[in-house]
Amino acid sequence: MTDPQVAILMLCMFIVLVLLGFPIAFTLLAMGVGFGYYAYYTDVPHTFADLFSNNIFYLLNQNTYSVMENDTLVAIPLFLFMGYVVERANIVDRLFFSLYMAARNLPGALAVAALLTCAVFSTASGIVGAVVTLMGLLAYPAMANAGYQRSFAAGVICAGGTLGILIPPSIMLIVYAAIGNLSPLRLYAAAVFPGLLLAGLYIVYVIVRVLINPSLAPKPRDEDVPPKRQIYLDLLISFVPLTVLIALVLGSILGGLATPAEAAAMGALGGLVLAAFYRSLTWDKVKQSVFLTAKATAMVCWLFVGSWTFASVFSFLGGHDIIKDWVEHMQLEPWQFLVLAQLIIFLLGWPLEWSEILIIFVPIFLPMLDHFGVNPYFFAMLVALNLQTSFLTPPMAMSAYYLKGVLKKQIELIEIFRGLMPYLAIVIFCMVLMYQFPGIALWLPDFLFGVYVP
Amino acid sequence: QEGTTLKMQAAWGGGIFLENAQSYVKRVNEMSGGKLKIDLLPVDSVVKTSQMQDAVHRGVLDAAHYVPAYWYSKSKTASLFGTGPCFGWSSQEVLGWVYYGGGQELFDELMASLGLNVVSFFNSPMPAQPFGWFKKQVTSTEDIKGMKYRTVGLAADVLLEMGMSVVQLPGGEIQPAMKSGLIDAAEFNNPTSDRDFGMQDVSKIYMLASYHQSQEFFEVTFNKKKYESLAPELQAILKYASEAENSNFYWHNTLRYANDLRTLQDEQGVAVYRTPDDVMAAQLDAWDIVVNRISGEDPFFAKVIESQKAYAKNVMGYLNLNQPDYKQAYKHYYG
Amino acid sequence: MSRNEAEARVLNIVHAIEGLSQWVGKAFGWCILILTFAVSYEVFVRYVLNNPTVWAFDVMVQMYGALFLMSGAYALAQDGHVRGDVLYRLFPVRAQATIDFILYLLFFFPGMMALFWYGWEIAADSWRYKEVSWNSPARIQIYFFKTLIPVAGLLLMIQGVAELMRCWMAMRSGQWPERIDDVRETEDMLIDMDTSAVPRPAPPGH
Ligand code: NA
Ligand code: NA
Repeated sequence: MTDPQVAILMLCMFIVLVLLGFPIAFTLLAMGVGFGYYAYYTDVPHTFADLFSNNIFYLLNQNTYSVMENDTLVAIPLFLFMGYVVERANIVDRLFFSLYMAARNLPGALAVAALLTCAVFSTASGIVGAVVTLMGLLAYPAMANAGYQRSFAAGVICAGGTLGILIPPSIMLIVYAAIGNLSPLRLYAAAVFPGLLLAGLYIVYVIVRVLINPSLAPKPRDEDVPPKRQIYLDLLISFVPLTVLIALVLGSILGGLATPAEAAAMGALGGLVLAAFYRSLTWDKVKQSVFLTAKATAMVCWLFVGSWTFASVFSFLGGHDIIKDWVEHMQLEPWQFLVLAQLIIFLLGWPLEWSEILIIFVPIFLPMLDHFGVNPYFFAMLVALNLQTSFLTPPMAMSAYYLKGVLKKQIELIEIFRGLMPYLAIVIFCMVLMYQFPGIALWLPDFLFGVYVP
Repeated sequence: QEGTTLKMQAAWGGGIFLENAQSYVKRVNEMSGGKLKIDLLPVDSVVKTSQMQDAVHRGVLDAAHYVPAYWYSKSKTASLFGTGPCFGWSSQEVLGWVYYGGGQELFDELMASLGLNVVSFFNSPMPAQPFGWFKKQVTSTEDIKGMKYRTVGLAADVLLEMGMSVVQLPGGEIQPAMKSGLIDAAEFNNPTSDRDFGMQDVSKIYMLASYHQSQEFFEVTFNKKKYESLAPELQAILKYASEAENSNFYWHNTLRYANDLRTLQDEQGVAVYRTPDDVMAAQLDAWDIVVNRISGEDPFFAKVIESQKAYAKNVMGYLNLNQPDYKQAYKHYYG
Repeated sequence: MSRNEAEARVLNIVHAIEGLSQWVGKAFGWCILILTFAVSYEVFVRYVLNNPTVWAFDVMVQMYGALFLMSGAYALAQDGHVRGDVLYRLFPVRAQATIDFILYLLFFFPGMMALFWYGWEIAADSWRYKEVSWNSPARIQIYFFKTLIPVAGLLLMIQGVAELMRCWMAMRSGQWPERIDDVRETEDMLIDMDTSAVPRPAPPGH
């Protein structure tokens, strides 16, 4: 067996072994160390100590250190912390009802309000599960009581709650930047319009569906509508501060005031201020946020420790080169390559989640972009859109499970799945749109930071 | 007979420096007639740049193609091999010092004191690195005070001494940071690499000439155990290929740099200026402060400085006396 | 000693180890607050006083690095490391425990031992040359920072022993022993809560 073949065996074994359910970070690390032992094997060991003299062990340590000193990943704990603080600031119910009242003359006002709340809240917090469950407890009963069709209401929450991983500032894009060695600044700029476009298409879809079939979403009764002053006041104290916080964080990054890590730190500080403003800043909540941040950061970054070691060995054995050779021999057109890559990522999204797909599989495609002349930021945006589907594709649609988990017997899983389907179609439509008009992604970064040169 | 393969990682992912690394590798592979093959891996493929020397020391990599500034975290003296103060010499003469002026012995002494298991060859005399890309033309030392500037290594100490604010940034962030105003100025290396990086899209002022990094060169480093296990003729190939690449680099790169500078000027609207003499003089003063400070802290650093000074005084004394003023002749023909 | 007593003792040991991992992880968790304030301070002095610090970049990197590395055992003690559990979750507990038991021995310990043993060697190198960061003229020491790798490896190994014991108990009893209490993600909290007890939210102002 040649070294590159061993590398392919390594990848295949990983795909099978990961299904055994062992923590992925340590599975990756083990495959890296195991196959690395083979790659760095030099001589038949003569003594017991010789067994342990293999350079893979140093490589593992050096990669661990590289994750520790990676200045892009610094933004991850900071954004997580900001998210946990915002999530615990008792903000979401005010946000939702004020948006509902403000949008009450639109068809499907509750659904539009739920979508907007999800988008804003998930952008600030970045944690899909928290947004879907919180909104499941808040917006779903409100919609159900107003006589909304159940699967329609469920779809809105699941799809809306997933938007936060795309709309910047987003942790997913930081992870992508670290993987692809891209500029997080450019990635953020590139994601602004695709994120807004997708959110906009969701809203258009909701309104059009309700216009066609008003029974999906009955109008609120007059006695449920509070006075106008009340609505505007609520909007002012809930929607505005959170949106301002997001805008400040994003604006200071895109406006050149701060690097993403610095903006994330100021966002975390802003989150604390916001929580204080809502009178929900308790020592206990700060502690909770700190500890949750520690656990979540450890989860993401140990995944990097495992995957960088895995990738080093894979590359050392010539794995990347052989895959690249295969693909180049297939004589694909750039568009065929793009469709193939996105199809694979879409399929991986069934069993896996975004972090696993990004950290383990996307790096395999990245070295080929040059050959096909694909702009890496454009590819990144296709992937980012595509990863929305990893939350929404049954049978392993995590958004649906979160919602089912919190609604329990109030709804069947199959009803949630049915509600999700149109959004899946919208995501794919959005990808096609972006393929046709790459400027949706590329115009803003080029405008802000100068034309990208490969 | 099956040949030996050495895995060499370059600190470069593309651009002209990767071409330079490939050029060295090509020389070795062609001369060894299959008995020795270097397999060149691009930046970050096995370890990240900051870990390259450790990786070679431990044998995780057999070899690396980079610059000594990349292990300056282990000893400040590393920066004297290429990014140190300018004693009136260019990188050619610093390399002369390495080979014939006691530099190699000092390097070996340093490696022994750090306990590093590596063998290194130095080559590729880089022209002085431009002061860099600015928002407006630098006309005096006052202009740069308080400016947020991106550079690396001892150059950071020097420019800090001159009143600039030195900002640390990851490589990929430099261009967007410059455009958006996070930094006011930045430097990389040379017209070709800078142009590849797209700096002309975010700044139109390019200041050439500077003492902040005026004599850098590459280091090709091998794991010592691995190197010593090779047959003497293969060791010789690795060594003499480095010497050959020294000349090739200079011929190849100076032409490319000149061509790219003209493209920047003629086609991409970049205004090119020479850094004013008084700013350069201030750089020398700042270097004195930095060098004296570190010499006070680190006797070995001081010893290397003394050796360099003695060599430069001697060799440049002769060269300066002997060399005609090439600029005069240039002016005579091209105005 | 009856079987129940023995099991209770094993569980005590498991919980003691989990307590250690949790304590260390939480202690290093506070790095996030230092990180937040230090970085915000840097932005402030850079823009308002036009005088950036030379140390902020390295402080930022080291706080982040220490935070994630030293929380690794804490996350493991709380089963916080992501699993590809599409099939795993469908297995009976005994099967899950058996797989985990084998894979801890096969996948987990070799790597953690390498982090401990070889990480120690690399840290010792770093102490020998009193290694500093190359990021700035401040020359912040990094040998302490590198020493965290073997320490994290050791902590993870200790937590790994607790996981082995936990698997062993589950293989015998057919159910997973409880983990010690900890702060939980909102979604986990809400999903486990009896949501019918939650008062239906009403629009504010009513
Ligand atoms: Na999925
Ligand atoms: Na430079």
